[in-house]
Amino acid sequence: MIRVLIIDDEQHAREELEHLVRETGVFEILGSCTNAIDALRRIRTEKPELLFLDIEMPALNGFELLAMIEDELMPHVVFVTAYNEHALKAFEEKTLDYLLKPVSPERLLKTVNKVRETIRRGDRPCYQVESLRHIPCQFANRVKLIPPSAVEYIFSDVAGIHVVTREGQFFTELTLKVLEERTPLLRCQRQYLVNPESIDEIKLFDNGLAEIKTLIGNTLPVSRRYLRQLKVYLQL
Amino acid sequence: MTLVFQLLQQTAVIIVIAYLFSKSPAMDYLSGARLRPRQLLVLYVVFTLFSILGTYTGLPIQGAIANTRAIGAVLAGLIGGPVLGLSVGLTAGLHRFSLGGFTAFSCGVSTTVEGLIGGLVYLYLIRRKNPEQLFHPLVAFSATLVAEVLQMTIILLLARPFTDAVALVKVIAMPMICANSIGAALFISMVRDQKRVRDKVGARFSSKAFTVADRTLGILSRGFSSETAREMAEVIREETGVGAVAITDRKEILAFSGIGDDHHHAGNPVVTKWSKQALRENRVVFVNGYDEHFQCPLSNNCPLGSALVVPLQMDQEVVGTISLYEPKTKLFLNINRSFGEGLATIFSHQLLRSRFEEQKSLLIQSELKLLQAQVNPHFLFNALNTIMAIIRKDADQARELLLQLSNFFRTNLKRNRDIVTLEEELAHISSYLEIEKARFGERLRVNQDIDSALLGLQIPVFTLQPLIENAIKHGVADLLDQGQIWVRAYHQDGLVVIEVEDNAGNYSKPNDTQGLGMRLVDQRIKNIYGSEFGLTVDCEPQQKTLVQVKFPLNEELANDSCFNH
Repeated sequence: MIRVLIIDDEQHAREELEHLVRETGVFEILGSCTNAIDALRRIRTEKPELLFLDIEMPALNGFELLAMIEDELMPHVVFVTAYNEHALKAFEEKTLDYLLKPVSPERLLKTVNKVRETIRRGDRPCYQVESLRHIPCQFANRVKLIPPSAVEYIFSDVAGIHVVTREGQFFTELTLKVLEERTPLLRCQRQYLVNPESIDEIKLFDNGLAEIKTLIGNTLPVSRRYLRQLKVYLQL
Repeated sequence: MTLVFQLLQQTAVIIVIAYLFSKSPAMDYLSGARLRPRQLLVLYVVFTLFSILGTYTGLPIQGAIANTRAIGAVLAGLIGGPVLGLSVGLTAGLHRFSLGGFTAFSCGVSTTVEGLIGGLVYLYLIRRKNPEQLFHPLVAFSATLVAEVLQMTIILLLARPFTDAVALVKVIAMPMICANSIGAALFISMVRDQKRVRDKVGARFSSKAFTVADRTLGILSRGFSSETAREMAEVIREETGVGAVAITDRKEILAFSGIGDDHHHAGNPVVTKWSKQALRENRVVFVNGYDEHFQCPLSNNCPLGSALVVPLQMDQEVVGTISLYEPKTKLFLNINRSFGEGLATIFSHQLLRSRFEEQKSLLIQSELKLLQAQVNPHFLFNALNTIMAIIRKDADQARELLLQLSNFFRTNLKRNRDIVTLEEELAHISSYLEIEKARFGERLRVNQDIDSALLGLQIPVFTLQPLIENAIKHGVADLLDQGQIWVRAYHQDGLVVIEVEDNAGNYSKPNDTQGLGMRLVDQRIKNIYGSEFGLTVDCEPQQKTLVQVKFPLNEELANDSCFNH
């Protein structure tokens, strides 16, 4: 049985797909999600092998969800869309397959065969994900979408990952690694990412360490290891 | 004193000549505008002859000539400037010199000086930016007076023997000064009157042209057809007073109005050689009625005798003609001739404009079609997907939705009319909304608040649909929590407002390829009702987007009792 997660914001579309997927008898449905944030959590906890992923969803679309997933957790992906303007793009992204709504059982069977073959061969999904346009953050009961350009710095502590902007500090579920790889933010210490546009000054110490002062006046530590990269990037 | 009267008698001859002059084409040169060399030459010849005539009609007195030569020289300077004055004075002076007598030399010099004086007055008034004063009789009177006084002085200074000169001046000074000054003043006054009459005719002519242009502008903006041609022919005939007016396209008569309409009918082919020539060579053809007679090819008893055929152009291409006719019993007025030619130019511009308008509206039509084609696939596939899911659980609801879907597409296909009532537009979007409500479930709530008195309001088709589609596609569909849409119609301050609001507040200014639907809605309303109406967007980010469409209140609705509270 292939462990799948279904992600679609529309209830009827979700139910219909669940029904069709169940009928094939080869999938174990781990659950279905209504949005990208919820989906990211489920992917971390359930570690599905395959996603049936709707492209058009509120706040964060299917492509954006892929950009939020860590490489080692990346499942195989089958896009599901009502209108094929995205179909071509989905191919370019080298997703496994794509289905057009309404989905016919016959077409779904082809997808099933493709998925089985890929998994049998043990191919790892390797998608050319986009860079992140938004960093989804928890804010009271809402999801706040922060564009990377608005970020001062990001740090991790035992409670999780915190995004600091001029407006305040927000909690995100994305990992520092994903954020480092898919945003223009730079790593300056094991627990810190800094927006190079927000650096006001860098203080160098004798012991090879350094400190960054940001535009709004925060001080960030710089470790030996990342100082070199930072210098190269800033052409110092 | 007898001499004064005798000279004045000669002045009468001059006046007659002045009268003839004022009726001649040379009169056109006295417009007060800068004269061209050719015109100066004509004036030189006219005034020189005039001045020499003054010498010949003079009376021989004591070996000299009492004359009115000064008038021509002074007026030449006054009207044409110092160069013309000097030339005329010099020529007439040389002529006088050739006639001999003891004042021959002094008279020759003084005539030249008189021309120069007229020229100096001209320069003075032009520099003072007062050129209309040139045609004031008092100015001519004074200039000639000064000139004649100067002439007498020159005779006294130059003519020998001096005693003879004194005796002569004693006799001729008064009569010549009076006669020449009065003559010049009369001449100018006559020219001025004639000028005024012409200006008045010109003014009447312009106002007539404006009236025709004004009356036909609206007609032609509906295009060039037999219907608009008929209305135009009527207007032109009324305003010009010609016997008959015909308008043709390249092949046949579109409209005929006036004398001879018993055998000249709309729908007849273009047969006269003059019309064909105008069409072929793209130029004005004039059959004046005496050198060449207009010969009606249809009837020998046709009362029409002269014709003016003017080609109508659009984009340098001849699309038809306008013909003005006069009966055999009447001469073709020159004024109507230039009028007809002017009209053709105006009409050609108007035709171009109306075609531009037509193409603009065609463009909107095709964009509208594109819009319909663009929106539907996405909506259709999502709708079908939703219905397929519902079939498994609730066959009745699924059937209901399929009906709504077919309703929506049927009205979409049938909507070829430009204007529908608000009620029809609401019915159309309600099918759309029912399907979207099924698709989004709890996530979409629609609230309607429509003033029922407005249900009969005439609005352009597809006014509401793009607004609703946007509110769902870019509003509710992008919200994680519940989306709400409000559809309202009410009247306020003499306006009708139809608005669609959502609680997403995701509106961003569209770029060129986006927002086509909204732009079309706005454009069409502005085209129909004027630029003060149309669409406005008010967006509070993350709170609401409010799109308002403003219409004028239809008259029949305004009179409705519902509005009189």
